[in-house]
Amino acid sequence: MKRVLPFVIIAVVLTAAVAVAWNLKNSSVSPPPAPTPAPTGAALKTPTPVPEPGAQPPHARGDATAPVTLEEFGDFQCPPCGMLHPILEQLETEFGPRRLRVIFRHFPLVPAHAHALNAARASEAAGLQGKFWEMHDLIFENQNAWKDAFDSRPIFESYATKLGLNLEMYRRDLGSEAVERRIFLDGKRARALGVQGTPTVFMNGREVPFESLPVEKLRVLINNELAVTGK
Amino acid sequence: MEVVTGQEETDKPNSGRRAAILYGLAAFVSLIGLADAIYLTVEHLSGRSVRCTIVKGCSEVLSSPYATLNGIPLAGVGAVAYFTVFSAATLAAFGYKGAGKFAAFVAGFMFLFTIWLVYLQAFVIKAFCQFCLLSALVTTVMTVLIVLARRDKVGAVS
Repeated sequence: MKRVLPFVIIAVVLTAAVAVAWNLKNSSVSPPPAPTPAPTGAALKTPTPVPEPGAQPPHARGDATAPVTLEEFGDFQCPPCGMLHPILEQLETEFGPRRLRVIFRHFPLVPAHAHALNAARASEAAGLQGKFWEMHDLIFENQNAWKDAFDSRPIFESYATKLGLNLEMYRRDLGSEAVERRIFLDGKRARALGVQGTPTVFMNGREVPFESLPVEKLRVLINNELAVTGK
Repeated sequence: MEVVTGQEETDKPNSGRRAAILYGLAAFVSLIGLADAIYLTVEHLSGRSVRCTIVKGCSEVLSSPYATLNGIPLAGVGAVAYFTVFSAATLAAFGYKGAGKFAAFVAGFMFLFTIWLVYLQAFVIKAFCQFCLLSALVTTVMTVLIVLARRDKVGAVS
């Protein structure tokens, strides 16, 4: 019996480990956001209305009439947001502006990310000169170049120069009420929607589980949504 | 001819028993590491810990390129390693020959790897994940226990 006992213990622990992993996995997966087609095939599940609309107008790429809208709450310094950036760009190219609209909203995680707020301000200041998305793309694409910098502001200013912005106006706008207000309003919307971290993405008002953000899974979800809307 | 005193004779079975207890403790400690590694693996695969939150730490560490080995979560590799040490230490506690040596080999490798991972968190990623730090602590304690058990075992045999 003594010779067999250790193997029994090992087998019990292995079984328990697999069971715990299985339970954890199941408890961690939030319900998939796959739309439930209405009998008429027309209606999507109505998103929960929230009283906070966020900054208006939102920074959006794609037509306002596009059947699928992805609303991202992001932090420029967050590595997974940096990883999501090329995924969304790829999907925007694949589906085109008539079918997919992408909205970016600020949710800078201060104090965890020391440069996130400055990055958000830089993008909004560029936005006041009509170059929000250009700055947004530059900031994300060069995340590794500035995330560990002592002072990221000169780096963002170099992007402003690269984009041909009026630097005097850009510097003034960085600390302006208009810029601060947009970031604040996006944050209010995030909290109203229960956003806990970044990136958090909503598809037509419903939260997309984080594990569905890889490009192949997100593509399936968008196709499902398009199928439901019949476009 | 070697003279064995009465005191030394009584120490041999004591050493063997102490080694068995130390191996048992190492097996128990490795279970904590196993639970931690399973949790981290599931969190990693589900993406919950990878998402950035207001508290800096796990998201930076788990979304870094060092969190995976050819697409396999490092925490998953850790879970397999902990289970291996648990099995070997359990067998060693029951007196299976060679099991202690194998446990020491795997634990030693894990300890060296842990030093590398703590270095990465401190100086490369510049963020600490509390679950990774718990794993480092568990690996250290586990390795010390196994080394002590090996010393007792050798003491008992010589």
